[in-house]
Amino acid sequence: MSVPLSHILIVASLMFAMGLGCVIAWRANVIMMLIGIEIMLNAVMLTFVGGSAHWGIADGQLFSLMLMALTSAEVSLALAMVVYLHRRKQTVNTDRFDSMKG
Amino acid sequence: MMPATYLTLMLLFPLLGGLTCAIAGRKLPRVLVESLACGAVFGSFVCALLTALSYTAPTVVTLAEWFASFDLVIPISLYLDPLSLSLSVMIGFVCGLIHLYSVFYMREDEDYARYFALLNIFVFAMLTLVLAESLPLLYLGWEGVGFCSYLLIGFWYRDTNNADAGRKAFITTRIGDTAFMIALAWLFQLFGTLSVTKLNGMGFLMPVSVLTALGILFLIAAMGKSAQVPLMVWLPDAMAGPTPVSAMIHAATMVTAGVYLLARMYPMISASQTALAAIAVTGAVTAFYGATCALAQRDLKRVLAYSTISQIGYMMLGVGAEAVTAATFHLLVHAFFKALLFLGAGCIIAAMHHEQDIFKMGGLRRTLPLTFWSFLAGAACLAGLPFTGGFFSKDSILMAVWHKGGALYQSLYLLGLLTALITAFYSFRLVFLVFGGGNGHVHRTTGLGVMQAVLIPLAILGLFGGVLNLPGYMGEGLLTRLFVAIPGGGAVEATHEQEIVMQAVAGALALAGLAAAWLRYGKGRAHRMQEAQSPPSPLISFLANGWYFDALYNVLFIRPYRALAGILWERMDKGVIDDSLDGLGKGIGSVGQRLGRWSTGRVAVYLISFAAGGALILCYLAWLVL
Amino acid sequence: MEATVFYILAAILLIGTLCAITARQAVRAIVYLVVSFFALALMFYLLGAPLIAAFEVIIYAGAIMVLFLFVIMMLELESPEKLPKPRFSDWWPALALVVVVVGALAVLLLSHVRAVPPGFTDIPVRQFAYTLFKQYGVAVEIVSMQLLFALVGALYLGRRK
Repeated sequence: MSVPLSHILIVASLMFAMGLGCVIAWRANVIMMLIGIEIMLNAVMLTFVGGSAHWGIADGQLFSLMLMALTSAEVSLALAMVVYLHRRKQTVNTDRFDSMKG
Repeated sequence: MMPATYLTLMLLFPLLGGLTCAIAGRKLPRVLVESLACGAVFGSFVCALLTALSYTAPTVVTLAEWFASFDLVIPISLYLDPLSLSLSVMIGFVCGLIHLYSVFYMREDEDYARYFALLNIFVFAMLTLVLAESLPLLYLGWEGVGFCSYLLIGFWYRDTNNADAGRKAFITTRIGDTAFMIALAWLFQLFGTLSVTKLNGMGFLMPVSVLTALGILFLIAAMGKSAQVPLMVWLPDAMAGPTPVSAMIHAATMVTAGVYLLARMYPMISASQTALAAIAVTGAVTAFYGATCALAQRDLKRVLAYSTISQIGYMMLGVGAEAVTAATFHLLVHAFFKALLFLGAGCIIAAMHHEQDIFKMGGLRRTLPLTFWSFLAGAACLAGLPFTGGFFSKDSILMAVWHKGGALYQSLYLLGLLTALITAFYSFRLVFLVFGGGNGHVHRTTGLGVMQAVLIPLAILGLFGGVLNLPGYMGEGLLTRLFVAIPGGGAVEATHEQEIVMQAVAGALALAGLAAAWLRYGKGRAHRMQEAQSPPSPLISFLANGWYFDALYNVLFIRPYRALAGILWERMDKGVIDDSLDGLGKGIGSVGQRLGRWSTGRVAVYLISFAAGGALILCYLAWLVL
Repeated sequence: MEATVFYILAAILLIGTLCAITARQAVRAIVYLVVSFFALALMFYLLGAPLIAAFEVIIYAGAIMVLFLFVIMMLELESPEKLPKPRFSDWWPALALVVVVVGALAVLLLSHVRAVPPGFTDIPVRQFAYTLFKQYGVAVEIVSMQLLFALVGALYLGRRK
């Protein structure tokens, strides 16, 4: 396959930017924020895999795998947290959870 | 080996006594504290006597290393020579008697532990000052003396006036101490050592101008401690302390320290005629000043205070006239008769129920005969009546001044003679006013017996103190023989005829003063008593207020200083520093509050901030690339 | 040929993601996202990482996204119309940041274009496995422990009192 590495990186960075935008914009819905995080993580994985293929080293792919494992742990905890918080306040609006106010 | 043991014990006795009284004095019974304090000083006196008996030649005794860092090496070393020896014997004796006297004088005071602790430490500090071989050790004693005098002058500190007097003494003497400190630093820079013996041996290595400056610095130090013009204002106020303390400050410790310092550093200073002249002029002017002020005082103790200023002036004059022996001679005799006068005054004041105005006294000749005769002896010494101790010592100083020659010294001689006349006059003014007349009432008599008994040895020593150093035509003087080894200690080479003529002149003047006092205050006593009721004439109040030096200093220094302090406090400290700090604090506080609003507790805000930070870093990287 | 497929997949990926983040309902967003993840998995395959591609489909598109769906259903959120939507004022900081990030990244990427021959090497599964279990054995253990902790934590958070 003859795609330059920079194209893969551009695709990954666009995807990352979209994930970031999603996290920042969807402050009213914590689930959409988590989805934004997933998008960003996937962009990072794309970068890893692209690098791994470019240099022919397995470490990049390996880190993608680790990332997936970590993400699944993170998502399970985060969603459990969402359930818990929703049970307390009947909402998923992050602006309502401001007890960390300084 | 023996001198070292004696010297160490001499210092240790009062130190340990003082520390014991200070630490455990309140718990111990009163008798024990009193006997401990007295015993310590008398033990010290016995050690001094033993040292004197076994004395052969000047010795340096190094007790310990104090500190030795880089070039600065200061051992705790003591120097035993005729000067320090004679002074320490005198200090031990006089202070011992004053301690004994204090036991009865302070009988009704509750704070006896503090009193005796301070008194003992005072003696210790003075002995350290006298015996020290290295100047820093001497300085330590010097400051110790100043510190103890501050605490003792303000002993009855509940009265603001007393506390103020203590502070005045401390601050005024500190001016001199500063000069001393500068001299110390300069000496170390010049010679690399601070040992008295070495410095005196190396003085000639320096140009005369430097030695003059050093001499002046030492003179300023002595001015502060010895209450010389212009730093004499503290001594009259120092009367606020208990009378035995005044006796100690005036006779044995404290004020003589300045003269001692100049005598100690004399071999070095004497290379500069200018410095010597400055010392002599200071001494003579102070002697005259003190005598004139004493003329008009009404307070018994203040008369004596001004007389001390005057007599110390004579000693300075002696040092300035290259007569260290005569100065020391006068110092010793003065210590005896001034202690005598003060302790006698203490008896009078105690008997008069703390009345100190001499115009309200009278007739004590019959009610306090013992005090009268001792006080008379003291006054005779002070006045320099012929063949008393004061006569010989004062005359030896005046003779040295005359013998030095030159217009300056001859005019100083005349000033000294005039002062001697005034001295005789005011001494007997005091005697006639206090003891003359017929209306004597004694209020208190408890303990007076011992207090009066203490006066007797002092009176004998004062009257016959001349034996210490008889003039040449009566046989060689004891002190002269002892002092001949040290520079400036030799006898003045005057013919016997000259000596006799001069002593006759001085004696005649003293008798003239006595006669004048008799005419004015003995015969015309009743008239003077009436006069004292009316407001004093301008001249009298000028003299009574010490030439208005206090007011002058108030205008010259204290008021500008207060104004400056006020400006610094209100404008600088409050206006600039405090306000700017307050402003800074408020500014930071408001910034913090504004920043604090940022931490809303909302995740979204944090996320945006976080992302913005990341974006900034990216922008920076991109900017680096571009 | 492969390059063309890659660019098509990239387009699907980006469009799918864009639709996901602008979707009005969370469920729809999940579906869009599954589409884009499938495209991503294919891209992984093209980049010579078949194992990662398989895991992407199984774990991401399969497990995680389904987990999201489960949670959305569990929460019994009110009708989606009532959920507050991102307003324009919510979007513009996001857009500004996105523009800044993309611009900076573009600058960085374009400035580092090198004459590297565009070619990818396949990494055989054997090599991948060797690296994973020989070189990064400890990491595998740690990750497994972390999964256990996440399991316990999720159980704790999710229990009913």
